[in-house]
Amino acid sequence: MNVIPNAAMPAVHTQGLSKIYDNGRGCRNITLTVGKGEAFGFLGPNGAGKSTFVKMLVGLVHPSEGAGSLLGHPIGSLEARRHIGYLPELYRYPEWLTGEEVMKQHAGLLGIRGAEAKIRVREGLDQVGIGRRGSDRVKQYSKGMQQRLGLACALLGQPEILFLDEPSSAMDPVGRRQVRELLLELKKQGTTLFLNSHLMEDVEAVCDRMALMLNGEMIREGSVTEMLKVKVRWRFKVGGFSPVLLDWLREESGLRVSWAEPQSGKADADVGDDWEKPVWLEAELEDENQAGRLNALIVEQGMTLYEAYAQREKLEDWFLQAVAGRDQRGERG
Amino acid sequence: MKTIIAATWQEMLRRKMLLITLVLTLLFMGVFWFIADTIALKGQSSSDLLARFERRGATLGLGFFFGGFVVAFLAIFSSFSVVSGEAEQGVLQSVLTRPIPRWKWYVGRWIGYVSLIGAYSLLLFAAIVCITAAHSGMTRDYGDMAVSLLLFLVAVPALVSASMLGSCLFSGIGNGVFMTMLYGAGWLGGMVEKVRSFLPVEPDTEQTLSRIGALLSLLMPADGLNRRMQYVLTQGAGESIPFLTGGNPPSNTFVIYSLCFTLFAFVLGLWLFKRKDL
Repeated sequence: MNVIPNAAMPAVHTQGLSKIYDNGRGCRNITLTVGKGEAFGFLGPNGAGKSTFVKMLVGLVHPSEGAGSLLGHPIGSLEARRHIGYLPELYRYPEWLTGEEVMKQHAGLLGIRGAEAKIRVREGLDQVGIGRRGSDRVKQYSKGMQQRLGLACALLGQPEILFLDEPSSAMDPVGRRQVRELLLELKKQGTTLFLNSHLMEDVEAVCDRMALMLNGEMIREGSVTEMLKVKVRWRFKVGGFSPVLLDWLREESGLRVSWAEPQSGKADADVGDDWEKPVWLEAELEDENQAGRLNALIVEQGMTLYEAYAQREKLEDWFLQAVAGRDQRGERG
Repeated sequence: MKTIIAATWQEMLRRKMLLITLVLTLLFMGVFWFIADTIALKGQSSSDLLARFERRGATLGLGFFFGGFVVAFLAIFSSFSVVSGEAEQGVLQSVLTRPIPRWKWYVGRWIGYVSLIGAYSLLLFAAIVCITAAHSGMTRDYGDMAVSLLLFLVAVPALVSASMLGSCLFSGIGNGVFMTMLYGAGWLGGMVEKVRSFLPVEPDTEQTLSRIGALLSLLMPADGLNRRMQYVLTQGAGESIPFLTGGNPPSNTFVIYSLCFTLFAFVLGLWLFKRKDL
């Protein structure tokens, strides 16, 4: 596939890209476009084919069918690889080297030498929080530290497209937050991000668009907000509530109000005959005005409103719903 | 490619492979010194020339019996997991997404191993020859010396090429076992040839043993090259010590076959590596 690069060229483009292994696994017919400067999240259960797809993009796996390009250059070509940084999912760096030496080797592979290499190595190690521990051997690094080193290596060439396969899976919460902030900063600087992650909050916080893969096929694709676009569910903790008031509330408000199970950490509400005991009500509302109207009706009837809050659907819920009921090939055959 | 070659040297030095080999080689050389001294004929009589010649051959035979094994195992165990092992560990994935052609990585690694093990082999050759010369004298035929050195060195690229090819096909451990057995088969081929040369057997049996020996030597020509090298270096004196260098020395055709074997293993490995999914 010979594509001539130009300013309007997407960062990533694939057309029917497939990789079918002998055991039938892999991924099939993936057509995808990611714009320059966009942050794209790639989701899917284990064994869905996400890593295979990314490996084709970075030139590690040869496609069975289809074609793809990075910034207009055919995937796997030297020119395409000149513009990317890649953090593999399963990786280790040579244990007998120090973090700095690993970085210097990668600088050499990128053609960065001398004083510039020294500066970039130092900056890179500082950027991911390794700092002075760069002079320690890799065998003394924890998994999280190795992941930071991997990220530093991926960023070393100041890539236009950054492919990250589970970038913070081995990190502690502080490390994850740092990585997330780093990704947001890179996004602000215009780097195209392609994020394979099981950590939904990373995808939700960083990505503009996302796709869901299942059993080697891309089953959904769209913007994160669009994919999560559902009516906001509101919850109300009400005291002095009687079951007979539920129908009245529905009639007066014209909304589908229902009993709700107490959430974890909010377990003092229950539905029962004890009128004094607070209960939880739930309703899907379009905007805050409807919530205000419902509040007013509750108070108008002499009930006590203890708490009200909007409950947005999390990406994790969306993900579970999206794959629910579908056969998954998982990690086994 | 310079970065890859340097990384290979750094790996061999940092993993102490070369250091351990050098220390053990020094220990062996100490022992070899006493062996050479014990074998050597004392006194300077011209009538002892033939005996001196034979004993020099025996000393060299013992030295290179060790030398052949050490070089082979160093070449095998330093490179047996270079592709599959690094792919399994995920080291290759971050390197091969850099803007370098795959062939450069493969060739760089090959040059790195061959150059360092070749340098070690050169030192080992010089040490064995010098210790032998100190006790039993040495031929002044520098042409033979140079040819035997080349034959000793040629085994290194043959072993490294086969080992790297194997690592494109098998897992790290699997290739280690495969290469050890392959080298063992070549060594056995040489032993069969040596046994044939001194065992009183019928002509038919002798012919069959000779064929088996030749076929096994073709599987991995490193030991055959070592036998040819010793034949050139001892100017045939080794034939008097059947278990070390006895039997017919491998022919010039065998040497050419060994070069073709190396080239074939190298090119096939490179071809497979370029097509390998990582």
